Amino acid sequence: MQTLILGIVIAMICGAAGFWLRVNTKLTVVEVSALLALVAGLILPRIFSEGNLFAAICTAVSYATMCSKDRINSYIEMISVSAICAMILYFGQDVLTGVGGRLGTSAAVSVLLFLTLKSLFTLKSTKMVAKS
Amino acid sequence: MIHIIIFLPLLGAALDIFDQLFTPVGRTVILLALAAGLLAAVLRPEFKLKNELLRSAIISLVGAMLTFVLSTQLNLGAVIASAIVGLVGARVFKDNDQVVMYLGAFVGMSSALRFPTLLPLIVAGLLGGLFFELLDDSWVGVGGRLGTLAAAAVVVVLVVMGGV
Repeated sequence: MQTLILGIVIAMICGAAGFWLRVNTKLTVVEVSALLALVAGLILPRIFSEGNLFAAICTAVSYATMCSKDRINSYIEMISVSAICAMILYFGQDVLTGVGGRLGTSAAVSVLLFLTLKSLFTLKSTKMVAKS
Repeated sequence: MIHIIIFLPLLGAALDIFDQLFTPVGRTVILLALAAGLLAAVLRPEFKLKNELLRSAIISLVGAMLTFVLSTQLNLGAVIASAIVGLVGARVFKDNDQVVMYLGAFVGMSSALRFPTLLPLIVAGLLGGLFFELLDDSWVGVGGRLGTLAAAAVVVVLVVMGGV
């Protein structure tokens, strides 16, 4: 449980950092993602015993930061996607192991899940406003 | 129907959870879905055998090979290897090409246990670039799309190989 919570916190920090880089630098989406993954891959395994899992989580989150501004357009949204991504990776550690693209798939599922929840919530709010 | 290809990794994950991915049932499901997607792609009126198909396939292959070698031969690990290839690709290539190179890097993140020889990795690398061109209007702007396309290519090759 401690690993999951720490993983979520690290993912949220990574997601926020990625969003900041997207908004405030002229780096391309590929450069932002690769930079985040490189830093996470170099640092986290040296600090934590579960560092490889945390590095994988940050790498997946870095892929999620490649979203267009039409899809994810605020820190809150990016941080939410990052938290979902961390949970998917934590609970799906034994699925498709060793398959390249697995982290990206987790990132895409997190983004799509978030966008679905967001649209459902927006729809519900719109209906409530229309009723009142 | 063509979009079914991008769902292959999710289908593969569901089958893997129930230990069915590398069984005849799993193989049939994945290959039928692939066949349906490819057929739909080829039957589209706007489909043409363009140079971009070959170009993307080759760039993706280069990304996959470089990442795999850095990861497994130099023991850098998949995360660091793909990040290095992504950063170098972003410096060398522009626009779509750097994205395709990064997609190839995701294919190359596969473990050496999955790809004990290079031939299946070569096929997966080429297939990744092909999927990128065929599915240019799937999940546009969704982060993780490249990885999903890479996973689709890897899952297809592993299923054809019979799983390792």
